[in-house]
Amino acid sequence: MSAPAAATDGSVLSVRNLSVVAKEHRILDDISLDFPPHSLTAVVGPSGCGKTTFVRTLNRMSELTPGLRVEGSVLYLGQDIYGRGVNPVLVRRRIGMVFQRPTVFPMSIFENAAFGLRIVHEAEADIDTAVTEALQRAGLWDEVKGDLDRSAMSLSGGQQQRLCIARALAVRPRVLLLDEPTSALDPAATQRVESTMERLSEEIVLVLVTHNVGQAARVSDRVAFLHSGHLVELGPTDEILERPKDPLTQQFITGRFG
Amino acid sequence: MTTVLSPHPDLDDNILFDRSARTRWRIGFDRWIGRLLPLLFLVAILPILGMVYWVSEQALPTLTWTIIVGQSPYATDQLGVPIIGTFELMLIATLLSVVLGLFGGVATAELLSPRAASVVRMTANMLVGTPSVIIGFFGFFVFVLYFGWGLSLIAGAVTLSMFMTPYIFRTADLAFTSVPRHIREAALGSGAAPTQYILRIATPIALPQILTGIFLAMAIGVGETAPIVLTTTAGKLAPTSLTSPVTFLTAIIWDGFNQGSGSPFFVLAFQAAFLLMVVVVALNIVVRVVAARYQKRLEGLYQ
Repeated sequence: MSAPAAATDGSVLSVRNLSVVAKEHRILDDISLDFPPHSLTAVVGPSGCGKTTFVRTLNRMSELTPGLRVEGSVLYLGQDIYGRGVNPVLVRRRIGMVFQRPTVFPMSIFENAAFGLRIVHEAEADIDTAVTEALQRAGLWDEVKGDLDRSAMSLSGGQQQRLCIARALAVRPRVLLLDEPTSALDPAATQRVESTMERLSEEIVLVLVTHNVGQAARVSDRVAFLHSGHLVELGPTDEILERPKDPLTQQFITGRFG
Repeated sequence: MTTVLSPHPDLDDNILFDRSARTRWRIGFDRWIGRLLPLLFLVAILPILGMVYWVSEQALPTLTWTIIVGQSPYATDQLGVPIIGTFELMLIATLLSVVLGLFGGVATAELLSPRAASVVRMTANMLVGTPSVIIGFFGFFVFVLYFGWGLSLIAGAVTLSMFMTPYIFRTADLAFTSVPRHIREAALGSGAAPTQYILRIATPIALPQILTGIFLAMAIGVGETAPIVLTTTAGKLAPTSLTSPVTFLTAIIWDGFNQGSGSPFFVLAFQAAFLLMVVVVALNIVVRVVAARYQKRLEGLYQ
């Protein structure tokens, strides 16, 4: 891989004039922002503001939805992931994703965590260490270390979600996208996933989509507020949540809409 | 303080003890429907039981192990030759239709554009609706005459596979399209290439349904007569090459009935029918067992 371009300012991921257009309307309109290393950016906004679409354009998952056109660019270490000849499969191996509902595969806990490594044909010995490490980083290791051969379907919802995080981490991505990862979980499980996210934000870049301002306050260090496809405001979490400059942001975080 | 909703003024509280003619009629009607439905079930199952009894009654008294394994030429009094013939026809036809059906199902579910997929699906549905005798005609003109394979094992097997493929295709297509969307996204989101998703994630999930389709297609295929009768010719012995003549169980039944009840072939027809019945029942049991066993593993996936 070529050396990171200086133009990106040390950012791992830079979004430049990103727009997403569906048939009649613009879901996202001219969004630009940078994701520096070791940051956890919460993307918040009311339902339908385009936050899920936004995060899905960051690793080209949006291409799985037919009828969307992406304009502008997303630079990963200075290289445009929408550039000519870039394989989306390889993009997704560097920029992982965790979804709203836990999406474990019907196989053992170990095989779930090893999935990303198996598809790149890692050596068996390396898979063992990587799976252990990923499960530790996801905060699941202590609960499952005794029976990695058990079916992943037998885990609780919160454990399944942390297994999905481990699966994404196993291939050692620099960026992890989380699309409302706790919306299907109970409070206790949510708390565990949140502490996992906090820990991970010291190692890699996390982009967290959430409709929960409280969650953004608890785990993120930056907040990006999206409203009908526009990036209204971006800044350090406490600043945005306590002294928002834009009236729209103010209304949203005080719970007047959303 | 809680507010208590007052009852709707038009609703009579005595409705629980309603004895009006209308209500009594409704209750009585329900009761009789409840009695009638088990009777309808009997109507459905009696012909099947009757058939099993009738075929067994004719076949079993004279059926011996020698008749089943004996390979007398021209299959005059023993079924070994037609059993081997049926087995070879089924083996070739199943292999062909599994390969074609699976590739087709994967293609329509995962790879083709929606428009192309719908054309393939429509074609397969038309093929399922085509009378088997017409498929037999097609096989005769194309494989036997045009390709010059003659009335042979291979012509019969290929024609039979034309009949079986759409069944396997349809279940494979359905099995792959019904893999939950979020599982597909998670696999692709983990950096799996589409082919890796198909092989490592979708196929294990779709497998029970696919196996069900394969066994059902086999159960349907093994009882087919017309497509094979029109594309093969009776062999004296079990086939030795792809172009050999071949004798098979449904042909024995067909011939036996044409000979009439006085003929020794007539009893042999019943014995062949009995064996086929056993095979079909066995295949159906295998379907149940396989499906139940794999389904357990996938519990919770479709929540």
